Amino acid sequence: MAGLISLMILISLAGALITFLAKTREQARTVAIITSGISLAISLVIFSQFDSSISTIQFLESYSWIPSIGVTLKFGLDGIGMPLVLLSNIIIPLTVIFAWGETKQANRFYGLILLELTGVLGVFTSLDFFVFYIFWEIVLIPMYFLISIWGGPRKEYAAIKFFIYTHVASLVMLLAIFAMYFNALGITGTPSFDMFGLLKSYQVMDGDLIKGVISLKDAVFIGLLFGFIVKMPAVPFHTWLPDAHVEAPTAGSVILAALLLKMGGYGLFRVILPILPYSDSPSRMITLMAIIGVLSILYGTFLALAQRDLKKMVAYSSISHMGYVTLGAAALVPLSVSGAMYQQFSHGLITGILFMSCGVIQHSAGTRIIHDLGGIAKYMPKLTFVMLAGFLASLGLPGMSGFIAEFLVLVNSYFTLPTFVILALFGIVFTAGYHLWAMQRAVFGTYNEKLGHIHDGANYEIASMAILVLLVIYFGLNPNPVLNMMTVNAEQLLKSVVLRGVIT
Amino acid sequence: MFSDYAALIVLLPVIAFVLTLFLGKKLYSGGALLPIAAIAGSFIISLGIFFEIYPGGMVQQSIPWFGNGISQMNMGILIDPLAIVMLMMVSFVSLLIHIYAVGYMSHDPAKPRYFAETSLFTAAMLSVILSDNILQFFISWEVVGLCSFLLIGFWYHKPSAAAAAKKAFLVTRIGDVLFLAGIVMLYVNLVEIINNPANAFKIEPGNFLLQFKTMFEAIPLIDKTQLTYITLLFFGGAVGKSGQFPLHGWLPDAMEGPTTVSALIHAATMVTAGVYLVARTFPMFFATPATIMTGVPDSLLIVAIFGGFTALFAATMGLVMNDIKRVLAYSTVSQLGYMMLALGTAGAVVGAQAVGISLFHLVSHAFFKALLFLCAGSVIHAVGTNDIREMGGLFNKMKITATTMLIAALALAGIGIPFINIGTAGFFSKDMIIEKSFEFGEKTGGWGWIFYGFAILAALLTSIYIFRLWFMAFTGKPRSERHSHESPNVMTVPLMILALFALFFGFSQTGFYGYLEKNFELMGVEIAVHEEAAQLPVIIILLPVIVGVLGFLISYAIYYKRMIDMSKIISSENPLYKLLLNRYYEPKIGADLIGVKLTHDVVAQSGEFVDRKIIDGLVIDSIIGNTIFKIGEIIRKLQTGVVQNYASITILGVALLLVLLKLKLGGV
Repeated sequence: MAGLISLMILISLAGALITFLAKTREQARTVAIITSGISLAISLVIFSQFDSSISTIQFLESYSWIPSIGVTLKFGLDGIGMPLVLLSNIIIPLTVIFAWGETKQANRFYGLILLELTGVLGVFTSLDFFVFYIFWEIVLIPMYFLISIWGGPRKEYAAIKFFIYTHVASLVMLLAIFAMYFNALGITGTPSFDMFGLLKSYQVMDGDLIKGVISLKDAVFIGLLFGFIVKMPAVPFHTWLPDAHVEAPTAGSVILAALLLKMGGYGLFRVILPILPYSDSPSRMITLMAIIGVLSILYGTFLALAQRDLKKMVAYSSISHMGYVTLGAAALVPLSVSGAMYQQFSHGLITGILFMSCGVIQHSAGTRIIHDLGGIAKYMPKLTFVMLAGFLASLGLPGMSGFIAEFLVLVNSYFTLPTFVILALFGIVFTAGYHLWAMQRAVFGTYNEKLGHIHDGANYEIASMAILVLLVIYFGLNPNPVLNMMTVNAEQLLKSVVLRGVIT
Repeated sequence: MFSDYAALIVLLPVIAFVLTLFLGKKLYSGGALLPIAAIAGSFIISLGIFFEIYPGGMVQQSIPWFGNGISQMNMGILIDPLAIVMLMMVSFVSLLIHIYAVGYMSHDPAKPRYFAETSLFTAAMLSVILSDNILQFFISWEVVGLCSFLLIGFWYHKPSAAAAAKKAFLVTRIGDVLFLAGIVMLYVNLVEIINNPANAFKIEPGNFLLQFKTMFEAIPLIDKTQLTYITLLFFGGAVGKSGQFPLHGWLPDAMEGPTTVSALIHAATMVTAGVYLVARTFPMFFATPATIMTGVPDSLLIVAIFGGFTALFAATMGLVMNDIKRVLAYSTVSQLGYMMLALGTAGAVVGAQAVGISLFHLVSHAFFKALLFLCAGSVIHAVGTNDIREMGGLFNKMKITATTMLIAALALAGIGIPFINIGTAGFFSKDMIIEKSFEFGEKTGGWGWIFYGFAILAALLTSIYIFRLWFMAFTGKPRSERHSHESPNVMTVPLMILALFALFFGFSQTGFYGYLEKNFELMGVEIAVHEEAAQLPVIIILLPVIVGVLGFLISYAIYYKRMIDMSKIISSENPLYKLLLNRYYEPKIGADLIGVKLTHDVVAQSGEFVDRKIIDGLVIDSIIGNTIFKIGEIIRKLQTGVVQNYASITILGVALLLVLLKLKLGGV
């Protein structure tokens, strides 16, 4: 008898396969919405039964798979994974609804979206490194096709760049995983890819990768970190993201920004933080992460300010917002870490609204270049309403979810990383700047008559955005349903940090 | 009884916001009655609470919000004397402005949006006032900023309105970031104080970390230098919100919104928030060390410097503006400067009484400034222009507007009769501030006298610019062909009510000061008060009124009698006039130079260059492009859309790596 998690993954996978086989567009999108709806329902059942006061793994399932090399199908959830599973199940159905009007190869289109759901659910629930890696790679493939088939003019370039970039990062991560695997094998003698077991075995790893240059421990740590921050993405490994977003279809962009980037952040909490105190030079690693975090925040902000394409601007804003995740994680204070986790959840919701707005504008006005637009509020009042809400949430307006996350990260990171926090604060004004400047030029002001006659977003598009807006406001006023479980797990994660005296 | 419903003070206008936004179209006058009823409800509850807690009570309610342990954040209500006078003023003035707006906005098709947003604006301001903790204060403060953005840009199809809205949000946001940084520092200090067992400092159950109560109790334990930083960062927030130099530029531009919005911003719902912040955290400002000037806490001195300078600086620009609303806007900036000056100078001289002195001017200013703006709105409604050079001779056509505006002008100029204490609201409230800056000069000597100079000179200019405006608008020959008429009752009745307050509010002075004096004692904060009642020289008591009358006479001579030909002075040849008319080039320096040129053209574009040409161009496209990209091309050709090929190559690669690793690590 399968547990709820594997049931959820299997249903999304089955849904994806059925959708591929669908004969008509109508069938495809019906199957897609029903499947993702069921998956959402299951995740809500799990969420309602989830005990957020304990940090242990819940809904644990384990099935033997390849015992000879120690691979088990092991799934489970704690306060790190649960919110992201919920997020995935919110985003995918809304993306399907938003893309209700897709006509090009509809069966494949919706099928790939469901396959993305399978992939991210697997990543957020697997507790076996081998299975984790398989899901990690599964996620790549549908996104590659979403970009290269449904993408814009430079889709080939963007798709291959996305693929190579993240694939190289994945391989480096894989090397590090295998290093841990063989290290553990050497100690215990029994092969196992069990995630927690391998992370624990990292503590007793020794030796050098290259003598006198880098120890094995540091090499493994950096390898894993590299794998995750490329995905987030962090500066300077970010340039695949704007290209991928510019070319990707709206649904692809939403999934990419709302879910795929979160895999990187998830890796920080699931893998990096448990081993950080045991690396050979924790304080250097913390500084490295803090620099990457703040650099991403500021660099992303200024680059967003420089963009002419609305969607590219939003892409850079993602880089900036994900910088808070790295910064909060690096600060190693329970509430900064839970703030970073909350930023992941919140950014997933907010960025969905932003990319959907870009999609509606592109569809209606035929362009996303900011200065070719202008005054579109006149004909797109509904879009303006939800888009403005999304932009305000994105610039960190209190009362919306992004503020809670950024507040927690900034305030609590100040204990351990004061200089970096001051630098990050500096970016807030400019963050507000590029958001409002873009709105002022693209949406408000006099209508640009060259655009001809434009129409407002379709009801299904506006509806899915409006739902996200409501969620962003709800979680901005009442963060507890997901924040509490994050805090419980963050505290548990940091016990070893205090134990090791990495920070006081 | 009323205090049980304290939360409704905020919730009623919030509910009205939602209902008006979605149902307003179907209702009378765009749903205006909903916010009017809601804000009237807020006013009645506030009034009820006032009578309930007067003279020495307060209301405290608090529930946990998010976070855990000592870092538990909360939402709560604190209604002490300071809060209740603000609550009553804001809800009352906002109510009158809403009623007036039914007439003023009657022809605008977007009424539901207007009334929804002004209702939220009021709710947010009320929430700022009754917050019992600094986080909720900040959140409400930001929502106030949001509403100002939406309302200044209400006519968003006008490019100038869209630009002004953005400017207001961004400039105040600079202050907000400083404020947030102050909260960050405060939070860290508090947590460290609690975590240090030597302090034996605990948060009692039912109390929370960022509550004002906790903050005040911790004052003696906070490192003095840190306290100075924290308070100055808070003041940075106040500088942005209250339009103090150098973040004042957004306020004069903010008149791109409907005039009723200006009235709200300038009197009730926004700019006073900054002064209120300093007043609310006054014990912290007061506790900062005195390192610059003996006996004057550093932070209070800084507040006084910015306030005093702004009072004079803004008044100079008020002299030359031709847009009726812009004159009033600079006037607001200047008067807010007085309120800050009061907190700084009187704070150093008489301690906690300074809060009463500043707040008294804040409330009296709210009455006469709301009145001035609503009168201006009435005039604009009638003549269809903002330019006072195109007005004139309106007195006979709009008697109510002209009379009430004259009353407001007299109040702003602080006209009254000293010694027998009869006068307008401004006479009581502003003269006290000027007197206190004199006492400050006496106390400190040396350059401490500069504040008195700022205050008295600004008072003269105030009187000149406001009567210039009145004479140009209401006297002389009509300068436009348009047939002007008095506004409807729904607009003139609020004017008359406000005029009554502008005339008579001043008489509550003694009671007001007495009521607010004990404010911080209620929260257990002792602030040393210097009890020596200073004997002021007669000339000092007379001087504020003398300059007020002098200003009136100057404007009378120039703009009514036309005794002096101004054309020589008002010319592009005159560098001083040019400087003032161009607002000291603040818009050029702020928006054009710092905003567009430096930030966008230099920093952001060079970032873009690095990203595209160096990281991507040199590193990615050449290094990766020339090697791996080609491999990618090959894989792509092999794969030709078939996933299996791709997968097998990946697995092949992985297997290869495995073997390598096995060899490398086999011995471990």
